Amino acid sequence: MNKGYLSLVLHGHLPYVRHPEHEDFLEEDWLYEAITETYVPLILVFERLVNDGIDFRITMTLSPTLTSMLGDALLQERYLKHINRLIELAHKEIERTRWQPEFHNLALMYLSEFSKARDTFLRYNRNLVNAFKKFQDLGKLEIITCGATHGYFPLMDVHRESVRAQVKVAVSHYESVFGRKPRGIWLPECGYYPGQDEILKETGLRYFFTDSHGLLHGTPRPKYGVFAPVYCKGTGVACFARDLESSKQVWSSVEGYPGDYNYREFYRDIGFDLEYEYIKPYIHPDGVRINTGIKYYRITGSGNHKEPYNPHLAQNRAAEQAGNFMFNRQKQVEYLYDFMQKKPIIISPYDAELFGHWWYEGPTWLEFLIRKIACDQDEIRLITPSEYLDENPRNQVITPSMSSWGWKGYSEMWLQGTNDWIYRHLHIASQEMTELAKKYNGVNGLTKRALNQALRELLLAQSSDWAFILGTGTHTEYALRRTKDHLLRFNRLYDDLNANSVDESWLSEIEYKDNIFPNIDYRAHQ
Amino acid sequence: MARVKIKKIKKILLKKPLLGGKRPARKIKAKAAVQEDVKVTLGAQEIAIGTTKFSHPEILRQPSKNLPQDLPSKYEVDKMALLVRDPWWLYTYWEVKQTTVARLKSELREEFYKAKRVLRVYDVTNINFNGSNANRFFDIHIHEFASNWYIDVGAPGKSWCVDFGFILSDGRFLTILRSNVAQTPLDGPSWITDEEWMIPDEMFARLYGMGFGQGKSSPAGKTWREKIVSSPGIASMTSPVRKPLKRAFWLRVDCELIVYGATEPDAKVTVQGKPINLRPDGTFTLRFALPDGKQVIPVKAISADKVDERTITPIVNRETK
Repeated sequence: MNKGYLSLVLHGHLPYVRHPEHEDFLEEDWLYEAITETYVPLILVFERLVNDGIDFRITMTLSPTLTSMLGDALLQERYLKHINRLIELAHKEIERTRWQPEFHNLALMYLSEFSKARDTFLRYNRNLVNAFKKFQDLGKLEIITCGATHGYFPLMDVHRESVRAQVKVAVSHYESVFGRKPRGIWLPECGYYPGQDEILKETGLRYFFTDSHGLLHGTPRPKYGVFAPVYCKGTGVACFARDLESSKQVWSSVEGYPGDYNYREFYRDIGFDLEYEYIKPYIHPDGVRINTGIKYYRITGSGNHKEPYNPHLAQNRAAEQAGNFMFNRQKQVEYLYDFMQKKPIIISPYDAELFGHWWYEGPTWLEFLIRKIACDQDEIRLITPSEYLDENPRNQVITPSMSSWGWKGYSEMWLQGTNDWIYRHLHIASQEMTELAKKYNGVNGLTKRALNQALRELLLAQSSDWAFILGTGTHTEYALRRTKDHLLRFNRLYDDLNANSVDESWLSEIEYKDNIFPNIDYRAHQ
Repeated sequence: MARVKIKKIKKILLKKPLLGGKRPARKIKAKAAVQEDVKVTLGAQEIAIGTTKFSHPEILRQPSKNLPQDLPSKYEVDKMALLVRDPWWLYTYWEVKQTTVARLKSELREEFYKAKRVLRVYDVTNINFNGSNANRFFDIHIHEFASNWYIDVGAPGKSWCVDFGFILSDGRFLTILRSNVAQTPLDGPSWITDEEWMIPDEMFARLYGMGFGQGKSSPAGKTWREKIVSSPGIASMTSPVRKPLKRAFWLRVDCELIVYGATEPDAKVTVQGKPINLRPDGTFTLRFALPDGKQVIPVKAISADKVDERTITPIVNRETK
């Protein structure tokens, strides 16, 4: 008999980066890298588990922007080109490293991985959403939604119509992709502002997540801390909160698993290490060196000296650490069970892209963990939030506290000297969008197209990713451009609509560029 | 809503850094800064990983055509918005439209230039604010050209409203803009405990600590027990989980060897016993990473009819000192 539950939550999100107007667009690599290094490896883990009859439960966000990109024909075509080039490079590397067995074996490993990535991609008809959907239909995976473009809700509260549009567009997009309604939502950046759960209720969402303090600082005090969900006062939408202890075992710079010296070094990539003429066809066409994904070294230590990567050592470490993680959860659950006289639920959410992309061994670790939980113990059971709620419908009612899982726990990451100026523009656009939605009710033709496009542009401008990048203060050019471009397009649409002079050829051009959410309805912004 | 798109105005405005998007910064409380070393900063790891997700070099691109390059500096609206940064700080921005300014000028005449520009910050916790029933308020004197401000309210768990206005020479306060109401979150557990769900304080204290990863139940909790995750500290934005290599002088040298040649296009060629592909014209190029030591590299070609055979064997020594 189990004494508690563990809910692993992977938050998969990338901002909408798709540039049909350029042959090679660097930021699209974010998607291609994540496909090869994160999404495919996770899918392969799920496939192996299912094939071996291992039961498991994972909750996973696929943000609407990510789902849209994975399903986009142009990006699919480009990914295929990308992975083919990598396979070509891996072949060259196998040849080049013939006299260096320690690197030669790694080149063979990369060739095998890249080939598997291409096979998997093709096996699911180029759309990896099909794979995730399959595991959801098998009952192993619960896919939740997110803000339509990952807008940060607390800083949108002055124009709650925009929060509503973010949620409504996300929910209807989810339905069109997965053929059913989403049960839960990952609030972008875990950003919660009291009262916004009303919008979740309106759209039929049953639960969301906050960071620990969102629940712990709620009113009245939550009886079971973060180890049981609560219902929001007034709406009854359930709120689950992150357990920091299990989070930090993975995230922490001090003791986090990914920092193990046997693990692969993220920062040593042949895109930077190898002779220029040789590597040139595989880096950016402008000649700027970039990561290729082929990395030959392990972390080794804190200094500059790096030893070649040894996959066997790394795999052993991943197995040990999975055991360590499980052991700690068992102890945690036993302790809490005695203390609470009730089965605790431990919520462990992570950025999905942490696994594989940043932490190369992450998917392996996850697979070991799931297998161990299934075979080696019976204190913990993996569960999804909606299963938990079905089994434990009686929960305390409180109002959670405003919070996020970002830097310092509130809104400062997205509201500081480098990015605070965007809100006056975003808010005016929100206000104008509401005005448009009210003014035009049930129009058709060109006007309707312009209105729908106006909402697309507004949503794209709201992505928290731009504010995040502006907030980090480095490589801000692209984020700045995106913020401005979408707002400028929105502004022109607004002016054109008011002047009753929508320029169709220009509208067609931006519909082609910013083609997300083909079935969007501007009336969602009310 | 017509937008100001007159370039002249924009240029003048841009000279004033206060309107160009920058804000008059108020220093973060010294107290918070002092605590930085002992506090674990929430979310610092997530930032680090987030930045690797978006890592890329800077490449300049052609800006898009058909549109102005910059956002309007004014929207010709009377608007004031109040946002919550964290339990202690609010952020407000505002705009007064030209016609409002003109009206104020004509009504106030000389007073318009003499009046002090002020943000009046009202504590409106648990009341329905009507402009005169605030629990308390305080004023912040601001620059004439300020259009946004960070407000240190220092009081979590309260509701706030802000007016932008003038203090006239007779001491009267004239409201020009009023913000929305915003609520700072608590920075600790609520004192309100639900009767139906009463929970002993001691039990909550233990659960509270564990919620922040300070559990006594597992070895992993140990390191975190000493650290308190609460009020803000200042984290280095650029230090990821693993620090990128520190700036230090360095040199890396590697050698590669290129072996190339040509034969009949239909010949079979092996290098160190492994078959290789020829280009259509019969040439070939191979490139090897060259480790220290001796490499013997027999290159053998056999004619298509297997009658002729040639072998040439370069021997290469690399020695690194």
